[in-house]
Amino acid sequence: MNPVTTLAHALIALGSVVIGLFGAIGRLARFALTVLTRLVRPPWYPAQLFEQMLVIGYFSLPVVGLTALFTGSALAQQIYIGGSLFNAASTVPAVTVIGIVRELGPVLGGLMVAGRVASAMAAEIGTMRVTEQIDALTTLRTDPYRYLVGPRIVAAVLVMPLLVLVSNALGVMGGWLLATQRLGFNSAAYLNTTAQYLKWDDVSSSMVKAAVFGFFIALMGCYHGYHSSGGAAGVGRATTNAVVSAFILILLSNLIITVIVFAA
Amino acid sequence: MTAKIAVAGLEKHFGPKVVLDGIDLEVAAGESMVIIGGSGTGKSVMIKCILGLIRPDAGSIRVDGQEVTGLRGAALADYQARFGMLFQGGALFDSLPVWRNVSFALGGSAASRRAAAIDNLARVGMGADVADLRPSELSGGMQKRVALARAIAARPEILFFDEPTTGLDPIMADVINDLIRTLVTDLKITALTITHDMASARKIADRVAMLYQGRIVWHGSRDVLDVSGNAFVDQFVHGRAEGPIQMQLRKL
Repeated sequence: MNPVTTLAHALIALGSVVIGLFGAIGRLARFALTVLTRLVRPPWYPAQLFEQMLVIGYFSLPVVGLTALFTGSALAQQIYIGGSLFNAASTVPAVTVIGIVRELGPVLGGLMVAGRVASAMAAEIGTMRVTEQIDALTTLRTDPYRYLVGPRIVAAVLVMPLLVLVSNALGVMGGWLLATQRLGFNSAAYLNTTAQYLKWDDVSSSMVKAAVFGFFIALMGCYHGYHSSGGAAGVGRATTNAVVSAFILILLSNLIITVIVFAA
Repeated sequence: MTAKIAVAGLEKHFGPKVVLDGIDLEVAAGESMVIIGGSGTGKSVMIKCILGLIRPDAGSIRVDGQEVTGLRGAALADYQARFGMLFQGGALFDSLPVWRNVSFALGGSAASRRAAAIDNLARVGMGADVADLRPSELSGGMQKRVALARAIAARPEILFFDEPTTGLDPIMADVINDLIRTLVTDLKITALTITHDMASARKIADRVAMLYQGRIVWHGSRDVLDVSGNAFVDQFVHGRAEGPIQMQLRKL
């Protein structure tokens, strides 16, 4: 094939990917805007909101808590090994609390909730779409944006910061457990140092991250479910896309917030 | 007299595929109109256009003489509240018990909504004992009846039925047909049904229209269905493979 044609084909392929990407971002932004503008005005559905807070927040506690606990322990162990190389094994409590609260607590908590909740939302709303239950809502004087999507997004934004607080606490506790039980740290001294390096700014940035992650988790779950089509296979695709896109958005927004808050 | 529903020149395409190609249709108040046509002829899309669930590309839809294609937001919601719809698969909310499904569109206290639900269930021949069951605990025919009770609960002016008898045994299908006929007559509702079940069409319809390739190719009274003199209708009514309607099959 002549090089000009090859180049042209490559450019066309690249162009269609870019157009597709912008199209997807546009549809997503429109979906998000529709939900937010509808949420401003009644009717509201407090029962739905409460149920979603329970599903997203309370029922995620075990998985988020265990993840934080194990990761905190493993982190403390690695910091101890790394720190020993420079004669700085005493940095374990400080680095653990900073690492957990600034990054691992919110990110791992977000990823675990995304795996649990974004998938479930996409599957539930997707099934409602393909079985015409969403159309049925509309014919029964109920706006699906207000009834289905809104409560999920608000609930996720409200409960994620609380979940991440728990995640942070258990992560630090995991490090403390391992350091005092296996590495020979003094419990009181460890907690003292932890408290000394635990900054309010870190906690608040952690909760801001959590709220942003919660927004993306619910948005991805609802968006992919709402636009699913093509029966069981379509719902399966929607579920996968919801989780993958939620993961990517969590990691990307985490990076952006970290750079803005900590590198400025 | 203006028609209850008047559709003119309705067009809708999805990408290059033309689904509705200029539909003209009028339904009088209190009339039961049945649209017949094969799978994929655009029946569901047409109903969803009238309901405002799908936005048509061209044409006009008037209900009580009022243009409705441009409605948005609250005006669209008010318009949609005038309709009831029986979806093909029932579309019951599987997370809610039967009585909350039936009373979904109703306001008021839980007790009054429950009473209204039981009232409407009785209209479709179901007892109060099913009120607390989940939709998944019901057979297909019972789900259809619950869905029918839900569709009439808010006493809509217009009812749509999307393939009301699909997937039911002949006896249950006839029960549903009887129910639809009785409800439409008793509640004085304008009804629009889409189906490819001729037994159902004969039972429910005052008038019948036939949809083929996105157009209405024939309409007339139910009584002249067998002597329509229209080759499309003849072939469809008698279920013949040979005729002007060609299935898109590959030659063996």
